[in-house]
Amino acid sequence: MQIDRNMRILIVDDYATMLRILRNLLKQLGFENVQEASDGQAALELFETTKFDLVISDWNMEPMTGFELLRAVRANPATAATKFIMITAESATENVIAAKRAGVNNYIIKPFTSEILQGKIESVFEQRVA
Amino acid sequence: MDTAKVLDANIPDDGEQLASREDNAIPLREVIAMAEKVTAALKPLVRSLDKSMYRELKEMLNSIEELRGDISKVDPDDIFSRRIPEMGRELTAIVSATEVATNSIMHIAEQVIDADKSDPQSYAKFVEQHMMAIFEACTFQDLTGQRVTRVVQTIEVIEERIGVLCRMIENNQITPTASKVSETEKRNRARLVKGPANEGEGIDQDAVDAMF
Repeated sequence: MQIDRNMRILIVDDYATMLRILRNLLKQLGFENVQEASDGQAALELFETTKFDLVISDWNMEPMTGFELLRAVRANPATAATKFIMITAESATENVIAAKRAGVNNYIIKPFTSEILQGKIESVFEQRVA
Repeated sequence: MDTAKVLDANIPDDGEQLASREDNAIPLREVIAMAEKVTAALKPLVRSLDKSMYRELKEMLNSIEELRGDISKVDPDDIFSRRIPEMGRELTAIVSATEVATNSIMHIAEQVIDADKSDPQSYAKFVEQHMMAIFEACTFQDLTGQRVTRVVQTIEVIEERIGVLCRMIENNQITPTASKVSETEKRNRARLVKGPANEGEGIDQDAVDAMF
């Protein structure tokens, strides 16, 4: 399946550096339609005005975590179908299981490479076809 | 030492003699003499009481001195007013230094990516110059390493002092009242926030992939 390089991507992280790294990696992968939010709450506010195709979010953020954002996105019928990738340092099995049960499409453990990011994005959109 | 036995041993006959007097009249000098004998007889007893009380008081004093010594070793003022704030400043400086260095390196990388590649020679020179800037930016590691060492040393001092407190608690000199789990820890547990795993803990990307 050909991935739409112009899809709307929302990256969420409380570290400006991480947002910059993600933006640059996505740019190198051909995705330039990217918006940023510094935590789950700020991300939800962006959802009020914009329909995103993909959310790439960190877990550990204040005041709203990426996990809480995931549940909020899935709970709202208007955003429930949005693809969601968690990129986080939280590598406990219970975290991955909890995220999967909450409806995450894929899970990347930091530190990661652009190849991993690309692979997960492709994998997430292949799921749509399947 | 038994008071009655002391008196019996030292003035055995006087009491009987006095009790056996038929006129019931006791001259003052005999009473004084009797009192002096009683006082003399009781002296060793009083001395021994003094010694045992002194011993007990001395032990109490030693315990108090020891406790004071241990508490002064903990030196909470030094921990809270100097060491912890200093550690906070060091960690803040580390975060700041790594952030500055990361941003510098990313800025350089962005410039290299966006550079005009039409002239290979000038592009190669441009890249070389920027690579040198990356090396310069990487010098932050030396400084942050030194700061981390200082933080570790402070933690060791605090650990040692907490050890003193723990020993006092074990000896029942102090009863702990503080909650073992802080509010932040409780909140993080509820939100499944633990932070990066240490080496050998947590699962790797392959294991995560297998779960999906």
